[in-house]
Amino acid sequence: MVNLAAMVWRRLLRKRWVLALVFGLSLVYFLTSTFKQEERAVRDRNLLQVQDHDQPIPWKVQFNLGNSSRPSNQCRNSIQGKHLITDELGYVCERRDLLVNGCCNVNAPGTKQHCCDGCLPNGCCSAYEYCVSCCLQPSKQLLLERFLNRAAVAFQNLFMAVEDHFELCLAKCRTSSQSVQHENTYRDPIAKYCYGESPPELFPA
Amino acid sequence: LLISEYIVAFNGYFTAKARNSFISSALKSSAIDNWRIIPRNNPSSDYPSDFEVIQIKEKQKSGLLTLEDHPNIKRVTPQRKVFRSLKYTEAEPGSPCNETRWSQKWQSSRPLRRASLSLGSGFWHATGRHSSRRLLRAIPRQVAQTLQADVLWQMGYTGTNVRVAVFDTGLSEKHPHFKNVKERTNWTNERTLDDGLGHGTFVAGVIASMRECQGFAPDAELHIFRVFTNNQVSYTSWFLDAFNYAILKKIDVLNLSIGGPDFMDHPFVDKVWELTANNVIMVSAIGNDGPLYGTLNNPADQMDVIGVGGIDFEDNIARFSSRGMTTWELPGGYGRVKPDIVTYGAGVRGSGVKGGCRALSGTSVASPVVAGAVTLLVSTVQKRELVNPASMKQALIASARRLPGVNMFEQGHGKLDLLRAYQILNSYKPQASLSPSYIDLTECPYMWPYCSQPIYYGGMPTIVNVTILNGMGVTGRIVDKPEWQPYLPQHGDNIEVAFSYSSVLWPWSGYLAISISVTKKAASWEGVAQGHVMVTVASPAEVDSNSGAEQTEEEYFPEEVAKLRRDVDNGLSLIVFSDWYNTSVMRKVKFYDENTRQWWMPDTGGANVPALNELLSVWNMAFSDGLYEGDFTLANHDMYYASGCSIAKFPEDGIVITQTFKDQGLEVLKQETVVVENVPILGLYQLPAEGGGRVVLYGDSNCLDDSHRQKDCFWLLDALLQFTSYGVTPPSLSHSGARQRPPSGAGLAAPERMEGNHLHRYSKVLEARLGGPEPRALPACPHLSWAKPQPLNETAPSNLWKHQKLLSIDLDKVVLPNFRSNRPQVRPLSPGESGAWDIPGGIMPGRYNQEVGQTIPVFAFLGAMVVLAFFVVQINKAKSRPKRRKPRVKRPQLVQQVHPPKAPSSWGAPSRAARGQVEPWGLRSPGSKGLKPSAGRVQELRARAARGWGHWRAPKGSLGSDLAGRLAPKTKTTSKGCRGGSGSDQARRAP
Repeated sequence: MVNLAAMVWRRLLRKRWVLALVFGLSLVYFLTSTFKQEERAVRDRNLLQVQDHDQPIPWKVQFNLGNSSRPSNQCRNSIQGKHLITDELGYVCERRDLLVNGCCNVNAPGTKQHCCDGCLPNGCCSAYEYCVSCCLQPSKQLLLERFLNRAAVAFQNLFMAVEDHFELCLAKCRTSSQSVQHENTYRDPIAKYCYGESPPELFPA
Repeated sequence: LLISEYIVAFNGYFTAKARNSFISSALKSSAIDNWRIIPRNNPSSDYPSDFEVIQIKEKQKSGLLTLEDHPNIKRVTPQRKVFRSLKYTEAEPGSPCNETRWSQKWQSSRPLRRASLSLGSGFWHATGRHSSRRLLRAIPRQVAQTLQADVLWQMGYTGTNVRVAVFDTGLSEKHPHFKNVKERTNWTNERTLDDGLGHGTFVAGVIASMRECQGFAPDAELHIFRVFTNNQVSYTSWFLDAFNYAILKKIDVLNLSIGGPDFMDHPFVDKVWELTANNVIMVSAIGNDGPLYGTLNNPADQMDVIGVGGIDFEDNIARFSSRGMTTWELPGGYGRVKPDIVTYGAGVRGSGVKGGCRALSGTSVASPVVAGAVTLLVSTVQKRELVNPASMKQALIASARRLPGVNMFEQGHGKLDLLRAYQILNSYKPQASLSPSYIDLTECPYMWPYCSQPIYYGGMPTIVNVTILNGMGVTGRIVDKPEWQPYLPQHGDNIEVAFSYSSVLWPWSGYLAISISVTKKAASWEGVAQGHVMVTVASPAEVDSNSGAEQTEEEYFPEEVAKLRRDVDNGLSLIVFSDWYNTSVMRKVKFYDENTRQWWMPDTGGANVPALNELLSVWNMAFSDGLYEGDFTLANHDMYYASGCSIAKFPEDGIVITQTFKDQGLEVLKQETVVVENVPILGLYQLPAEGGGRVVLYGDSNCLDDSHRQKDCFWLLDALLQFTSYGVTPPSLSHSGARQRPPSGAGLAAPERMEGNHLHRYSKVLEARLGGPEPRALPACPHLSWAKPQPLNETAPSNLWKHQKLLSIDLDKVVLPNFRSNRPQVRPLSPGESGAWDIPGGIMPGRYNQEVGQTIPVFAFLGAMVVLAFFVVQINKAKSRPKRRKPRVKRPQLVQQVHPPKAPSSWGAPSRAARGQVEPWGLRSPGSKGLKPSAGRVQELRARAARGWGHWRAPKGSLGSDLAGRLAPKTKTTSKGCRGGSGSDQARRAP
């Protein structure tokens, strides 16, 4: 056994070309695997930067124009509110004025439809519920359609899944990546819920 | 107390026969016939004993007195209950495990606590300190079966129609373990949906894997959100968008095995609230920063989120698991109890990246265990509208099994019990509950540290921050005010209680802070006082009420300095553990954070030495701005001075100990190693005035601090306390060879506060003024308005300690089928699973088991390097020899050069040169993880400056919030680090 190893050593491994071959193969393997990884990373980065704006995104949002009668006895609403809640017809009411079917009590004194209280001209509001209600105004439809057509790819996931005007307003009014600067501060800590196209204005520091 | 059983103690040791005759002769005179000696069958019964246990059936007290009259009987004492409970544990396991075994039949009052806990858990979950004796090999690591998910599976519940979102590193498209992946979305800047790290696959596997290592809910709809890159990078903005999508998709359960300390990230926290307000049950890992306290991660520390801590399979709290109280309420408020519950998080088996199983540890493992259990539980509920974040949390909390010997800030409400949670959830009626549901300031160790803090008249009030969970609606409010109802027979009127509480309970939860204080009339009274707090919670459309029981038992302000000095003159003693403070080093360790695009610079070092020196100056003492490091021995204890300062000035008649250290400041600044002798590190001083106190200084606080501690110095603290309390100077210190003359401080410049530091932004003492920060006016003492007590003239319930019970829940109503009464400890392996148990080497948090595949390129590279080195040597050799004579001669020479130990001179030169570079590295940093020693040092200094009172600032300063600032070294990138991924190591990694 020892003889064999010694023989292999003497005959084979000490030949320069054998060593060169081993070295060359290892080097090739090492370089290819490294380059493959780098290439992949580079391609990912490129894909991120270059977005093709040519293809229109197939939105499935349905605006039911002028149909202000209740579709059924049940209402969807904005669920989350601390004090206020907005139903799918754009009524804002206090939580205690919410009916069992999920709609706002239209007869309650505080209930308002398509209310833009606390909303700025740039389309940003201080209360989420008023943002949704304001966004549900039929006149805002053009604005929303324009926004959908040039929505960033980051929002593609979100707005592709939206099905109608109410869902779009619920989703659009939430704070998002557009609402923050330095990742962890609001651009505008007061009016941060926006139905409009532009992000909140940078709050003067 | 056992009625009619007594221990009779004798004057000496007698045989059983003699003892019998003594007792019978003694009892004969009192005419008691109906008695017997209770036999004790143990090995010692053959030998003489000095006591006997007897049972007397008749109620004749007089007989006992005659017993004591007997000359050989020392005393008669009633048999204690401790013995009885032990008998119970012996008797109980024999009883068949039927459907009632999960309901609580026994009534436990607090004094019986020891017994009740051993009873409650003694059936089939042997929780306890002794469980570590169990065989490791027999422990099933299939976490779903261990938690008895198979019982629910056999009832037909497998998570069907429940939407689970996994926010993690993604999942491969055709992973063999998953059958119902509904959707995969990517929210990162990497264009892939696949998991390159294994973290996301593992987490998803624990929740929903259907083969090999089984998850909890194989039929649940999986929604994979990729929010973490393969480099473990993540941004708040990615989360915001992904969370919005989760709301739109009406996710039911969301697992976040990630977290960070950055709870001042308001957009993120607001979004988490929004999510639960939209009925998403959030389950999140509490963090891997244990065993340090106060290390809870966000968002797991939120009231509406289920925060999960980790235990091992022997029911010990995992070392890495972060523990409470919460720091979220700081600086204005008081911390809450967290984690909510604990479950298995060490060595759990889950899916590997490409199939197969692997074991992983970390709270990011514990979190999906709960998320999977929650998913399974949701699918068992018929009336789905009853399930909401609050009701689920209430059910988990109420069913959790308390671990003995662990306090509530480590275990929360205890260990997850899936089947009991199932029973509770399926008889749930909407209601509000409190967490913790009772406060017992005498109960140790569960109520630690409250139970170690005495309360007395004139003391600071004890504050407990109770969380109100409201399962009735997303929003609610407290009707009127909470009421304090003391029990008069239990002296409840001896304590005063003040409340502060959330005006609106949203989302699903709120706080109720209770301040407890002693009334003036009880100033000299001692005892236990009891009472309860009544809270009525109303949600729109529904009203419900609930009651909880309660029981009792930087810089300095100038005024502060003056008061402290006066007190020391009057006998108060002071021990100061300082740390480093060197402005040059502070400037050196500043770093650029790519995430916030700002420079971060510490506002103080390891301690605020200038402020300390101001305090100490009156006694002619001061610390220096030196920075020293080294090992030494003090009083036969091995010590390590990690990075501390020295004493610059000390009174002549004090005791000062010096040591020899390396100057770490020079090492960091100039990469030079200089050894400094006689560095004064410890000083003890007795004030000369009559009745004056004592002052002790030590230059390094590292040995007291768990997070950086290598060798602790609690023995030193004990010795110093001996000195300060009794004036006893340990001879090992006073006669130590290291004792030197106290330094006079001449020629040493005292450390100055760093020019332009921004400590005032975070300080409660300083405020910015023209011409430099100045102390604020002393704040007014907080004023508590005590609640008007409404005394109840009734006796307190005997069992205050109740397993958290929800109202109107009858556990017996929900019957579990009795599938297996005796669960085997070892489960047969399922097909395709390897028979090898994982070696519990993965106990360290977040250590992945290395895959062999990744190491192949490394080997190839090493091989190539070896061959290359060989060629280099050859060429070198060829050059050094001007001319070769014959090729034939070369061969034997080559053999000679490689094999014989004596190397030719031409070979030696390059190798020596190489060594010259390697040596100082190897010498300098044995413990440092990085290659460059100075980098490791800088890391550690940063970490230490960040801890405690160290503050960091961002010169551009948009992040001017106290805690965001304090924890700045772990901002965005690292702050939401994968929990299993790297844990505490990550915190020290440079962002």
